[in-house]
Amino acid sequence: MTALLEARDVVMRFGGVAAVDGVQFAVDQGELRGLIGPNGAGKSTLFKCLTGQLRPTAGRILLRGQDITGLPSFAIARLGVGIKTQVPSLFDGLSVREGIMIALRRQHGERAARGLAGAALERLGIADLADRMVGLLAHGQRQLVELAMVVAPEPDLILLDEPTAGMSLEETRRAAEVIRDLNRHHTIVVVEHDMQFIRSIARTVTVLHQGRVLVEDEVSRVLSDPRVRDVYLGRQVAA
Amino acid sequence: MEIAAAALLAVLAALVLPRVAELFVLINATVFVSMAILALSLALIWGFGGILCFGQTAFFGLGGYAYAVAALNLGDSAYAVPIALAVPALAALALGYFMFYGRISDVYIGAITLTVSLILFNFANSTAGDQWHIGEAPLGGFNGIPSTPQLNVPGDPDATLSPQAIFVVAVLCLAACYVLAKLVLASRFGRIVVAIRENEVRAELLGHDARRYKLGIFTLGGLIGGLAGILFANCVFVSPTMFSLFYSGQVIIWVMVGGVGTLFGPILGAMLLQGLTTWAGTLPGINPNAILGVILMLAVLLLPTGLLPGATALLGRLRRRTAP
Repeated sequence: MTALLEARDVVMRFGGVAAVDGVQFAVDQGELRGLIGPNGAGKSTLFKCLTGQLRPTAGRILLRGQDITGLPSFAIARLGVGIKTQVPSLFDGLSVREGIMIALRRQHGERAARGLAGAALERLGIADLADRMVGLLAHGQRQLVELAMVVAPEPDLILLDEPTAGMSLEETRRAAEVIRDLNRHHTIVVVEHDMQFIRSIARTVTVLHQGRVLVEDEVSRVLSDPRVRDVYLGRQVAA
Repeated sequence: MEIAAAALLAVLAALVLPRVAELFVLINATVFVSMAILALSLALIWGFGGILCFGQTAFFGLGGYAYAVAALNLGDSAYAVPIALAVPALAALALGYFMFYGRISDVYIGAITLTVSLILFNFANSTAGDQWHIGEAPLGGFNGIPSTPQLNVPGDPDATLSPQAIFVVAVLCLAACYVLAKLVLASRFGRIVVAIRENEVRAELLGHDARRYKLGIFTLGGLIGGLAGILFANCVFVSPTMFSLFYSGQVIIWVMVGGVGTLFGPILGAMLLQGLTTWAGTLPGINPNAILGVILMLAVLLLPTGLLPGATALLGRLRRRTAP
């Protein structure tokens, strides 16, 4: 079976530094994959390569077997990929509802977009924010609004970069619920450094360290792996 | 509601002013209306597209020159007007294509557009002499084309419109552009343009090709700027001044003082400030630019969002205070 998303020998260099150094990584349809690693492991750089925000120095990225390396992010999004960035990226000057409707306007008319935006807000439990100005929201609310924006068009594959950063416990719990629920119909890749959160949602986890894949296994095995504990504690590990 | 109010205002102006105003006042009023259209074109590009175009006069001047050249060659302004709209629109399309598809950043877009308008200014200035002509139309260098023909009744080149009729046409054009801008902004295209202004990266992550939308709004702005040039050419005449830094700077001031992100604000700003500089020009020993500069500084300090948003906020506050 062809993987839904695959990275083959992806390398991303910035000058002499290889932030991502030959990553092999494949996600099958229906998975909920965690992508973890300590700060500087190359998670966000790999994420940007997958989403078209960076063009990898070498290697290929495939979506359903189709080469998408170097495609601009709007083209990748059109192939059914929903992308949530680490720092919430939103339309601050618009209302919450209008912002989510922007996500739907490519495929839907005004009325359908309004209906679907309302449904996405309900799904994330933030229907009461619909008419608020995005720029005036608290950080955790902004995260949920961005999540609503990403899931509203029902993408096949959802890529989330640290979806719970800055959320309150209650918001994190709600986000975990939403992500698990979304996984019933969508394939999801979550980049995180919060191990607890990953434990609560993911089944399979890929651990990045110094731009390479250190381990890839079932979540409880990964979390008890001494090499993983060592890299999180900053000890040197022979990958 | 707003569209109805704009239409009413336009009809009133078009009916009343030509009957009561002296010729000189009427021609001046037509100039103001063409300036308001120019301000509206930048209001679209900058206020809603988020593209700070420092050289909006490039399209204003191209519209004027294309109109004068085409009208002198073809005789009938009914043929000249479409050409004079197409030239600035195509120029905006070509320039925008290189800027947006080349992913030029905002600051450089300001610099490039300003440079283009200055190149056109210098070029137009250096076309003195008999060798510089397009068909029947001499370009005239610094003096421009004083023989710019007036609009005529379509199909009858000898029936040129009176200044009164040209004023009415200008007012109708302004109203039409305002309504067009409103409709565009309410459309799917317009809403995505505004979203791109708010956050281009996010819009692209949602699958919208920002380059296409920016090119679209920029071209529309070029077209409307060109229309302003055609009307200006009909009440004054075309000359390199149309491309000048003096005008390109003023348009930005009109939009800023009127209110970036509104349509009516820049129209108001253009008319008020044009009126003021014209009046200041009649005062002995005073440079109107100095007054314009002071107004800009005061506006930035006291009404940072512009006249229209500032006035709306003030009204809202008063209403709340007087409410029981």
